[in-house]
Amino acid sequence: MQMQDPPPLTGETPDRGSIAPICNPKGSPWQQDDDFQSDCVEAIRSLGDLPEDICRRIHARMPLRDAARLACVSHKFWRSWRCYPKLDLRQETLGLNGDLISKVDSILKNHSGVGLKELNIELSSCDKVDSCYISSWLRIAVTAGIEELSLFLPHIPEEEENYFPCSPLLNGSENSIRYLDIGICAFRPTAGLGHWSSLTRLYLSNVRVADDELEGLLYSSDALEHLGVLNCPEIVCLKIPCLLQRLRLLTVSLCRNLQVIDCNAPNISIFHFSGSLVSIFFESALQVKNVEMDCLESGQSNIVLHARTKLLSYAPNVETLAISSPNEMISTPMLPSKFLCLKYLHISLIGDEAISPAYDYLSLASFLEASPCLETFILEVRQPYMKHDSVVEDSSHLRWLPQQRHNSLKSVTIVGFCSAKSLVELTCHIVENAASLERLTLDQYFK
Amino acid sequence: MATREAGKKMIMLKSPDGMEFEVEEAVAMESQTIRKMIEDDCADTAILIPNINSKILSRVIEYCNKHVPTTGATGAAASDTVAPAALAEDLKIWDAEFIKVNRATRFDLIQAASYLNIKGLLDLTSQTTIDTISDNSLEEIRSFLSTKNDYLPEEEQTIRRENQWAFQ
Repeated sequence: MQMQDPPPLTGETPDRGSIAPICNPKGSPWQQDDDFQSDCVEAIRSLGDLPEDICRRIHARMPLRDAARLACVSHKFWRSWRCYPKLDLRQETLGLNGDLISKVDSILKNHSGVGLKELNIELSSCDKVDSCYISSWLRIAVTAGIEELSLFLPHIPEEEENYFPCSPLLNGSENSIRYLDIGICAFRPTAGLGHWSSLTRLYLSNVRVADDELEGLLYSSDALEHLGVLNCPEIVCLKIPCLLQRLRLLTVSLCRNLQVIDCNAPNISIFHFSGSLVSIFFESALQVKNVEMDCLESGQSNIVLHARTKLLSYAPNVETLAISSPNEMISTPMLPSKFLCLKYLHISLIGDEAISPAYDYLSLASFLEASPCLETFILEVRQPYMKHDSVVEDSSHLRWLPQQRHNSLKSVTIVGFCSAKSLVELTCHIVENAASLERLTLDQYFK
Repeated sequence: MATREAGKKMIMLKSPDGMEFEVEEAVAMESQTIRKMIEDDCADTAILIPNINSKILSRVIEYCNKHVPTTGATGAAASDTVAPAALAEDLKIWDAEFIKVNRATRFDLIQAASYLNIKGLLDLTSQTTIDTISDNSLEEIRSFLSTKNDYLPEEEQTIRRENQWAFQ
C-alpha cells in the first residue's frame, strides 16, 4: 500500500477506512457517515438484499436448528433452506419433544434434494419406522451430488426386519458418495448398484448382509480406504478382494457367525478385531503395522496365547499391538519366533472371571524376549479379587529367568499391580533386564 | 496500470464512484477474482471493481493488506521474530476489531468478499452475521437481518408448524 502507513489499531474507529484512495473526487470516504453509499452503487440494506447464492452460502454455514428458524424469516431463506447441504437428523439435533420420525419426514419432504451433500438419519431411539418413509426420504435426499450417507434404523425384534432400500441409490449417487454408514437393517446390494467409484469409507453395523452380497459390493468399491464390519450376523467368510488396493484400515467386530477373514487387499496396515477368534489370512501380511485384538465381549479364552503363537503368521511386521483378554488359562510360552518390528505392546487382562490363578504373569516375558525393538510395554490387570499366590504370604523362592536384554525398553506401566507373586517376578525381571528403562509405573488401582 | 514501486509490482483498483487505489499485487491477489484477472493478463490497466463503493473497497484492501502472507525479505524478518501461533492470535484480535461495523457495512462486506472471492473475509463476515442471530426470536432475527416478513399469515403459520422443533 503506497498511500500511507496504516494507523495504529488502538483508538481507531473500527468502521472507518484506513486506506485512502489516490484520487478522491468526493472527499475522503471516512468523512462520511456509516450510511454513506455512493450514487453508483446500490445499497445493501438487509441480508435479504444479497444475491441468492450468498444467502445460501451463509445459511449453509448455520447449525441445523438456527438454519430451520431462518427458513421461517422470509421466502428467500425458505428457498435456501430447501437446499441446506448438511442434514444431521437425530434426537440430539432435533430435540426430545414430539415424534422424531415426523420431524425427519417434514424436513426431508420440504428439501429439494438439490445441494444436499451429507445426510445422517439416526432413528435408534424410535420403536419402529415404516419402510415407505425410508424409501421416500432417500428418494428425495440421495441425488447425484451426495457425498455422505449415514442411516441408522430403529432396534426392532429379530423376527421383524428393517430393509435398507437400495433402489434410491441407482441415480448416479454411487459416483459421488464417499462415506456410507448403515446400521440396524438388512442390506441386500445387487450387482445392478453399479460402480461406487468415490466410496472411500464403508461401515456396516448390525446389518444383515450375506457373504456374497458384501463381496459383490466390495468388488464395485475399488476406492475403498476404510472398511468396518460390526455385528453382521450373516457373515461367515469375510472375503476382501485384492482389487481394493487403497484399503488401509479393516475393522471387524462381533460378527458372531464369522469363521474366516480372507483378506487379499494388498495394503492393509491397520487391523482391529474383536469377537471370538477366527481364522485370519492376509495376502500381504508384511504391510500390517497396527493390530488391536479385543475379545472381551465374547468371553474368548487365551487371546494372549493366540497373539504369541499365531499373530506373526498374519502380521509379522506389527509395530503396535494391543490385546484385551477376559481370561488367560494357559501361560504364554517361550518361542523362537520374533516380533522384530514391535515397538508398542499393550496387554489388558480384564474380566469378571478374572485371570486364572494358573496363569503365570512372568510368562509374559516371552513377548519382551521376542521383541528386540519394544519401547513401551503396558500391562493392565483388572480383577475383582486376586486369586494368585501372594508374595506377602510367601516371599521365598522368587523365580529368576535367565538374563535377557530388553535394551530398547524405555517405558513400562503396570496398572492393577498387586502382590501376585508372578507379577512381582515379572516386574523384577524387567527392572533387572531393561538397561534403558526411563520410566516404570506401578499403579495399584485401575480406573 | 500495473506499475512498479520499490521493487514491488503494484495494481490499480478502481471503485465505481471513481476512486483509485494502488495496491501491491500480492495484496490484491488475496482476492481470487483479481488473482484470476492478473493471471489471465487482464490487469494491464486499472481494474474496475463493480458494485463495491470506495468505502467498502478501502476496508477490503485493509483486510487483504493485513492478511497477505508474509513472504520475501520483510516477511522473513517478521516470521523469524514472531511465532506462527502468536501471529495467528494477533490476526484473530485484529479481525475481531475489524468486523465491529454496523449491519449495512457488514452486508456490503459480505457481498464484496463474495464477489472478490476472499475466503477469509467471507468466513469472518458470514460467521459474525450467524452469531448475531443465533438463539433469537423470529422478529429479532428479522430485525438483525433487516429483512421483511414476506409470508402471508397462513403461510407463516404452516412453515412455523413444520419447523416447530426448531423453536422448542
